[in-house]
Amino acid sequence: MEQHENLGSGQEDLKRKVLQNELCTGCSACVHLCPYFEHYRDKTVIVHGCDGTQGRCYAYCPRTPTDLSALQKDHFDPKDLTPELGAVKSLLVTRAADPAIRATSQHGGTVTTLVRLALSEGIIDAAVLAGRKETFLTESTTLSRPDEVAARAKTQFVVSPTVGEFNEAAGRDDARRIGVVATPCQALALAKMRHRPDPADAEKVGKLRLVIGLFCGWALSWEKLKPLLEARIGPEPIVKIDIPPSRYQCMEVTTESGRLSIPLSEVEACVRENCRYCYDMTGEFSDISVGSARSPEGWEVDRGWNQTLVRTPLGEQLVGLARSRGVLEVKDAPPGALAKLMAAALNKKRGCLERLKEKSGRPDDLIYLRAEDPVVTSWLEKV
Amino acid sequence: MLINGRKGQQVLMMGNEAIARGALEAGVNVVAGYPGTPSSEITQTLARVAPKRNLYVEWSVNEKVALEVAAAASFAGLRSMCVMKQVGVNVAADFLLHLALYGTRGGMVLVSCEDPGALSSTNEGESRLYAQMMEFPLLEPGDFQEALDMTRWAFELSESIRNVVMIRSVTRMSHASGNVTLGELPERTARAYYDFKGPLLGDMAGPVATLPGTVDFMHRRQQEKLKKLEGLYDASPFNTYTGPEGPELLVITSSACHLYCREAIELLEVSGRVGLLKLGTTWPLPPRWLESHLTAAEKVLVVEEVLGCMENTIKAFAMERIDRIGPTAFFGKADGAVPSTNELNPDRVMAAMAGILQITPPGLAPEYAARAAEIAKTGAPVRALTLCPGCPHRASFWSIHQAMAMDDREGFVCGDIGCYTLAAAGTGFHALKTIHAMGSGAGLASGFGKLAAFGFHQPVMAVCGDSTFFHAVMPALVNAVHHRANITLVILDNSGTAMTGFQPHPGIGVDAMGGTAPALDIPDICRSMGAKVSLCDPFDIPKTRKTLLAQVEDTDGVKVVVMRQPCALSPQRKHKKGFRMSIDPERCLGASCGCNRLCTRVFKCPGLTWDRENDSARIDEVICAGCGVCASICPSGAIQAKEDA
Repeated sequence: MEQHENLGSGQEDLKRKVLQNELCTGCSACVHLCPYFEHYRDKTVIVHGCDGTQGRCYAYCPRTPTDLSALQKDHFDPKDLTPELGAVKSLLVTRAADPAIRATSQHGGTVTTLVRLALSEGIIDAAVLAGRKETFLTESTTLSRPDEVAARAKTQFVVSPTVGEFNEAAGRDDARRIGVVATPCQALALAKMRHRPDPADAEKVGKLRLVIGLFCGWALSWEKLKPLLEARIGPEPIVKIDIPPSRYQCMEVTTESGRLSIPLSEVEACVRENCRYCYDMTGEFSDISVGSARSPEGWEVDRGWNQTLVRTPLGEQLVGLARSRGVLEVKDAPPGALAKLMAAALNKKRGCLERLKEKSGRPDDLIYLRAEDPVVTSWLEKV
Repeated sequence: MLINGRKGQQVLMMGNEAIARGALEAGVNVVAGYPGTPSSEITQTLARVAPKRNLYVEWSVNEKVALEVAAAASFAGLRSMCVMKQVGVNVAADFLLHLALYGTRGGMVLVSCEDPGALSSTNEGESRLYAQMMEFPLLEPGDFQEALDMTRWAFELSESIRNVVMIRSVTRMSHASGNVTLGELPERTARAYYDFKGPLLGDMAGPVATLPGTVDFMHRRQQEKLKKLEGLYDASPFNTYTGPEGPELLVITSSACHLYCREAIELLEVSGRVGLLKLGTTWPLPPRWLESHLTAAEKVLVVEEVLGCMENTIKAFAMERIDRIGPTAFFGKADGAVPSTNELNPDRVMAAMAGILQITPPGLAPEYAARAAEIAKTGAPVRALTLCPGCPHRASFWSIHQAMAMDDREGFVCGDIGCYTLAAAGTGFHALKTIHAMGSGAGLASGFGKLAAFGFHQPVMAVCGDSTFFHAVMPALVNAVHHRANITLVILDNSGTAMTGFQPHPGIGVDAMGGTAPALDIPDICRSMGAKVSLCDPFDIPKTRKTLLAQVEDTDGVKVVVMRQPCALSPQRKHKKGFRMSIDPERCLGASCGCNRLCTRVFKCPGLTWDRENDSARIDEVICAGCGVCASICPSGAIQAKEDA
């Protein structure tokens, strides 16, 4: 694998190096740029061969050679950068002030609250959000009204084609300032897109105004998840899926009849292969990142709250506005919370680097990351 | 002209027209066939004149039934003819075996028009060996006059031996034209009556049937019929010899190769050294006449297409008579003098003759040859196979390809025979992964669809046309339904047998002679077989793709999707544009579209061209059929379709 900045190659290279190399994250950055890629039933597929030797698909993909330092320089104040979590201005524990929003959300309802506020304040005029589709699949849609957001509230464990939806929405006239709620791989793709957009895309990419990142350990493969869930719950519609802290070793599935617990070991067998090669637990390329809370108060309390990392001035502005409008409740993070989060995040990086070296067969070949990248070396010092 | 031409009139006629005229001059009453290039014009031209000639002409559902229909007429005392291409004889072979064993009553002629070099086929198979294997006479016209005369005579021959007679033609005889002097059109009245009253083993009366125990008698009788022909063949005007009495080289040939040999001898200027023996009655061999010519020659070159059928029989013939004939050096396919595959032409025959005679054939002057090759590069570039502009198959395969790619489980399509066979090439996005005979797509799919027990995970699709469906797919579909094969059959219904010239078939409300006929409903038939049936309009790309995706996801048994849209060259469609197509110059981003010219590089409808000067797509208004499909595939929405009033 080449160890240099992403100079662009074409569809054929993307196919060999990513799609057929078990690295594709399903972020769908390559979809809706051109007619040759489609996302269907949790797979990114090539529909027709393109004989182009340089393409946006390759350039924007989060698993082609990536210069993390250059990307960080685009978006963040160097003083805020941490090796483990990327840029951190503050760590907060938050939840939606409105109990109705919390009732329909995954944990604290923070993302729903912030997206609603960004839309109603005109910071964005369109939001790209993931939602559930039939038979445990996911789809991403673009919304423009705050009252439409809550219906997209819950966490999806199958990757949703959010960046593909952004590509399409950005091409329309009705969306001029777009916000995206993104998994870490999707946020990385968006950062690469903004870093060096193809001239034909500059206007579209310029419409991206807000990225809210999600904490992510891994995503599940639909092909494997479907039979597992069908065997356990049959055709009943799912209300919510959640994964409590690791000490519980389970996945909770809530249907209309009640809540069912599935041993985590069975769920881990469904993890997407490519997730093993991901270093990012907290969605580092975003304005604000949100995950579930961890505190000494225990899960029964924590499950109703979020941990929120604020990373950029826009992030600060939005959270500050939410607090002042009374739509977001904020607690101080308990002592040691940041350290714990950093330790968990570093653990993912450690595992990722080991597995990348194993995959490439060479200690200096990190496939899509550069071993000499200062960001990567900063992890190695900590690991 | 076919019926108005008078006796003695000389006309320029296509080989197939000459055969048709020959049949009319013999007073044929019933003609049945299945469309197949290069045979179709025979049945077609006769169908046109049928009302005026006391003639019944039928496009049968397949060649086996066509042969049975013609045989029925023969059993009822009428003269009948059955017409097909080489592969049709394979379809008819089961019945042919029994027919030849028992025999015929009214004169019956089987015409097989074959395709050496596979100009319009997926094989260059041979039917001449059927005559040897099933023991009936074979005739091969060597020029256009013979095409007429031999056909007329064949009915007489058939009645004299009471068996079917096969006439074998090839593309260069059937589709080429030559001067033909016409004979008389008889005023024949025929009355059909099947005399089944009589002994089982009777000839002109009694049941036409065989049973175990009677076969030996019938078979011996059949062989005696052939033996009787020897004297007749020895005197036949269809076997000719031109050349010196003791030629240095005796060339034995038949069919269109006769014309190539004549040209070759002339161009090589060896008419003094080479004798040309043209066989018209190629099975059985005319024994005494052939023996006399073989005795006079020590070197024999056999020139025929495609297999060495004559070469082998003549070698055996010569071997049996070696003490009278003397040893002969044979040249032909076995020693490589003549190519064993592909059609022949004067150049190839010249090369063979020149090699044996040890002379240099006249070639092109090198500068001329070089210049010609140069001009050919731009003046006559090699072109890819393509579907017509407006062809519904292009739209169907666009959706099929997309659906299989999106499904992403290495699904594939078993192909069949028709215009849609071209989908194995770029024009159909390389969708087809098997191609064999009529109905084989569904048959193979029925097999693939049962392999899940062996870990087979790939979705299976088969395609067929509306005519192919009736011809051979129906039994395969029954098989698939009964055995619960997990397959999707896509029936590409373009309202006709398009590839061969848009002939009608049982799904169309019209028959060969232009009368109305009941049209069988394909979706109804599939439903009554127990398949799950969906219908779509292939021009509606999003809906078609969605339907196909749903079918391949369903793993339970047989799904049928009927895609209905008339052929661009059908009577309903031809010369009528549904839409006026245009390119919006603001929206077409040219090379910077980022779609890498999806319209002309991938979709490739001939009506779409690339304007290099303006870096934009362009509609060729002369070629565009106005189907509107390209408007759905352009990612920028630059292709506009405006309804044509």
